[in-house]
Amino acid sequence: MKVLKIVPEKCTGCLRCELACSYVQTGAFQPAKSVIRVSPYEGHTSYAPYTCTQCAEGWCMTACPVGAITITAAGAKDVVDDRCVGCKLCTIACPYGTIFYDHDTRKAFKCDLCGGAPACADACPTAAIVYAEAETADWLADFAVERSARLLAIGAR
Amino acid sequence: MAARHLIIGAGTAGLNCIRTIREEDGGASEITLVTAERPYSRMVLPYYLDRSIAESHVFTATAATLATWKVKTHIGRKAASLNPQANALTLDDGTTLEYDDCLIATGSRAVKAPVPGADSPGVHSFWTLDQARAVIAGIAPGSHVVMVGAGFIAFTILNSILSLGARLTIVEIAPRILPRMVDDKGAALVEAWLKKHGVKILTGVALTKIDDARGKKRLRFKKVGDLLADLVIMATGIKPNLEWLQGSGIRMNHGILVDDHLRSSVPNVYAAGDVAEGKDGVTGAPVVHAIEPTAMEHGRVIGANMAGRDVAYRGSLNMNIVEVLKLDVASFGAWDASGAEAFTGLHPERSAYRKLCWSGDRLTGAIIIGQAGDVWTTNDVGMLKGLVQTGVRLGAWKEHLRRNPFDVKPAFIASRTTARLLPETTLGRPSRAPELPTTVTR
Repeated sequence: MKVLKIVPEKCTGCLRCELACSYVQTGAFQPAKSVIRVSPYEGHTSYAPYTCTQCAEGWCMTACPVGAITITAAGAKDVVDDRCVGCKLCTIACPYGTIFYDHDTRKAFKCDLCGGAPACADACPTAAIVYAEAETADWLADFAVERSARLLAIGAR
Repeated sequence: MAARHLIIGAGTAGLNCIRTIREEDGGASEITLVTAERPYSRMVLPYYLDRSIAESHVFTATAATLATWKVKTHIGRKAASLNPQANALTLDDGTTLEYDDCLIATGSRAVKAPVPGADSPGVHSFWTLDQARAVIAGIAPGSHVVMVGAGFIAFTILNSILSLGARLTIVEIAPRILPRMVDDKGAALVEAWLKKHGVKILTGVALTKIDDARGKKRLRFKKVGDLLADLVIMATGIKPNLEWLQGSGIRMNHGILVDDHLRSSVPNVYAAGDVAEGKDGVTGAPVVHAIEPTAMEHGRVIGANMAGRDVAYRGSLNMNIVEVLKLDVASFGAWDASGAEAFTGLHPERSAYRKLCWSGDRLTGAIIIGQAGDVWTTNDVGMLKGLVQTGVRLGAWKEHLRRNPFDVKPAFIASRTTARLLPETTLGRPSRAPELPTTVTR
C-alpha cells in the first residue's frame, strides 16, 4: 500500500501542506481544518508534519457505533459523512490523535489520502512528505528525540 | 456439524461478535440471535432526539443485513433462563435453544431514583429507543425540562435538549456534576461553563417526591424549593440485566466474571459489555466498564474466539467523552486513583484543564477539558488515550509534563508511542471495514 512517508529532516515549516490539505478537504484555505499538522521542535528551529498512519487496527473505524468509517480503495480509513452522527467516540478511540471533529459540519474528519493523490505530498516543496509504496512506520520519533534533547535538558536544570 | 453460536443481546457487543464471526468463518457456522429489541445504537439516540438524524439511522443491522450474515433471529424475545449443563437457553415464550457456545450480552437498563412519583407519566428515562421516542414526543420549544442526575448519560443529551429550544435545569444529589467522569476541579470548570450558557444547575440536592401539578410535574426536594417541569428525565444510573441468570451457576460479582478470553466460569459461555466484569487494561483489576468501546472490543474478541481463533484480550480502558455546548470533556483510565501522583494544569479563561495521573513514569489516567473548536484539544484527547493505553515510559518527559501539562504532543512522539501502537491489533490482524446496514430507509 502507498503511505504518507514523512522525512522530518527535510521539513522547513512552510505549512504549505496544511494549506493544501485544508483546501482539498474543505474547499477553503483554513489550516485549522487541515488533518496534517506541522509542529515546531527545538524552539522553532525545526519542524515536522504529523498525520494519520492509516493504522492496521483502525481504532476510529472499529469504535464507530454506526459503521460510518470505512476503508477506501486507496487503503485510507475514511468517514462516510452521511452516516457519521458526530458522537466523537472515534476521537477518544484513536490513540494517535489524528481524527478530528468539525463544528461546521458536525462530523468527524480525518486523512483520507485525498483518494490516492494526497495534496500535502503534492504541495511539499522539499519532499518531506512523500506518497510512496512503503510499510507505515514511526517516521518522527528519532527526529523528535534528537530535536528535543536540549528542551528536556533546559527543563531539568 | 457446524458450530452453533447463540448470541443473547443485539447491542454493540452482540453485533460486533456476529460481524467478527462472519469475518472469520465466512458463514460456515450457525448463528442464532435472541434480542428484546431490534438492533440499534444507544450511542446515537441523542442525535435522533435533536432530529439531526432520522430514526432509521439508529439501526445497526436490518433484517436484510442479518439475513446476509445468515443469522437466525428471535427478535422481541427475552432470555428467561440458562442451563449451562444442558447447553440450553430458555426464552420468555418457553422456546428452548441449544448451543455449542453462547454470548451473554444483555446489557443494562436505566434505573430511576427511588422516590414516589418516579414511575408516573412525564417522568422519563433516556436509555432505549422507546424511551427516546417518548422524550421526543414530550419536548416542545419552551418546555422546561428537569434532568435528575448530572452524570455522563445526562450530559450526552444536554445539547439536544437545548437545541430543541427547551429550558434545562439539572439537579444532582452529589455535591458536584459528572462525579464518575471528572474530578472536582474539572467539574467546577464544566459547571461554570454551563451556567454561563444558561443551564441552571443545582448540586447537593436530594429529590424526595414528584407530584402532578396542573399538567406539570412538581419536583420536591429536601432542602431547596420545588421545581415545576413540563418533562422530567431521570438519568440516575444503569443496572446490568443479570437477574435472569440467577441459579445458572455462572459466577457473578458486579458483572459476570470473565477471563482473558472473556469466558465466564463456564468455558463455552462468554460475556461482554455492560454485563461483563473483566480485566482493566491499566490496573489489571476486574471491573465492569459499561461503555461503548469496551462492548465493541469484547464483542470482537469473543467473535474471533467463537470462530476458533485464540485471541486474548489485553483489558478494557475506561474512557468517556462528552461535548457540552462546544466544551469537550474527556477522561481516560485511572484518572481518579486516590494516592496516585498527579499533575494538573488549569486555564480558567480558556476553560481548559488537564490532569495527568502517574505510576512511576507511565501515564495511568488523564482528564482533558477544552473548547471543542481548539484543534489541539482533539489532538491531545487522542494522544493521552494512546499514552494511557500503551503505558509507554515517558522518562524525562514526565518532568516536562509536570511543568507543561498542555504540551502532550512532543512527549507522545519522542517517547516512540507511535512505534508501540502500530503493530497493535485487537484480533491479531488488520481490522476490516464494517458492512453498512443494508436497506436502511431514510
